[in-house]
Amino acid sequence: MLDQAQPIIRVTDLHKSYADIEVLRGISLTVAPGSVVSVIGASGSGKSTFLRCLNFLERPTSGTIAIDGESASIGHGPAPSARNIARLRSKLGMVFQQFNLWPHMTVLGNVTEGLTQVKRMGRKEAAEIGRHFLTKVNLLNKQDEYPAKLSGGQQQRVAIARALAMQPKVMLFDEATSSLDPELTIEVLEVMRALANDGMTMLVVTHEMGFARDASDRVIFLHNGRIEEDGAPDKVFLAPSSERCQKFISSALS
Amino acid sequence: MLAALRQMLDPTLFWEYRVVLLEGLVQNLSIFVESAILAMVVATIVALAQLGRSRVLKWIATGYTELCRNTPEYVLLVWVYFVLPLIISKMIGSRFRLGPHVAAVIGLGVAYSGFMAETLRAGLRSIHPGQAEAATAIGMSPFSAMRRIILPQALRRILPDIVNQLVSLFKSTTIVSLITVQDIMYQVSMISVAEMRPIPLYTGAAVLYCIVIIVATQVFQGLTERWRKRGWS
Repeated sequence: MLDQAQPIIRVTDLHKSYADIEVLRGISLTVAPGSVVSVIGASGSGKSTFLRCLNFLERPTSGTIAIDGESASIGHGPAPSARNIARLRSKLGMVFQQFNLWPHMTVLGNVTEGLTQVKRMGRKEAAEIGRHFLTKVNLLNKQDEYPAKLSGGQQQRVAIARALAMQPKVMLFDEATSSLDPELTIEVLEVMRALANDGMTMLVVTHEMGFARDASDRVIFLHNGRIEEDGAPDKVFLAPSSERCQKFISSALS
Repeated sequence: MLAALRQMLDPTLFWEYRVVLLEGLVQNLSIFVESAILAMVVATIVALAQLGRSRVLKWIATGYTELCRNTPEYVLLVWVYFVLPLIISKMIGSRFRLGPHVAAVIGLGVAYSGFMAETLRAGLRSIHPGQAEAATAIGMSPFSAMRRIILPQALRRILPDIVNQLVSLFKSTTIVSLITVQDIMYQVSMISVAEMRPIPLYTGAAVLYCIVIIVATQVFQGLTERWRKRGWS
């Protein structure tokens, strides 16, 4: 049923090169609204670069990215304008491996910064929205703390609330649990699962095979900058058609 | 012998001339404040130019900081006071003069802007790129990311360095008497000549400077301590 809906993400022939190294070699992908797509692959396969190209943290070399009707194209026609890119970014929330919370602002300050600075919202209104999303990640009681006082898992949950407060259409997770101890990983994954159940469209670059397998609707295996395998978790994990994917999964699960 | 020493250091002389000396100190303070502001404004522009994309601006900024850092401030001061007006006079074809106060502010401001630009640049570069990326991802412009995220963190890191440079700048304001600004050293030397007793006034000036600087730095550090440590405690 989801597959018949208008896709919320449409990526067409995305390429990215650094000097003479081609990291992405033509990625095309459509994602239906509300679906959770895990992106897996060995390090160096281009999965982080792929995610970072979607919101132009890295400028693609060529290709088209369309998120919820806002499209930016490089390689044909005029280059996307700053406004074009800003509108694209407003549709996307991003969570980083290193959290990247701003240490000089309180937890609530981190969450409301985009609301006051980008959406030009008043302080009171922003604080209300900020507290709403801090409640969602179960950290309302830490709103006045500074990030340094929080555990890694709590920091990452604040980072998720910070991204959610901007009310994006799609959430991008760039190895959101890779720098966390196993016991802290759990609380972050729980928040991510709850978000998925709420119907958020999510693109999740991850090493967490458990999450990829039982929390996502679809798994994509990247290899050398191309999509090598794409399908339902069961199919990708149990009966992948690519040999490389099979090898990667058996080594990741062992 | 003690009596002789006491007579040599006679504090009453200092007290007698307190108004003149205080006026001199006010001169030093105003040159300090003005040149500090000039130095910080120029340093910010130069540091941003060095970190920016334009190669030409980068070269100009690097050349400027090297020039400032490697020219003795006394030479710079004299150059601004005597040579710069000559060049400008030739260029505009009529007589141009810089007052000693203005020349002192420009000379010292330029001299210290080089050091401050280097400090600021290092501070800005020390902030993890992920900080700016998070701002960008949330939709902030490069300008607001700099103003709200990068600069406040960088300033906290470099504040102790900047304070040291401001102390040096304040000390350097004592050389402005060489271009006839009537600062405290100027007054001291005038009075000393008139009274033929150099010991008490020069000693007094040394002690006074020392006290002013110590008190000012303590107060400043006290005021900024909480701000600087925010988020790192």
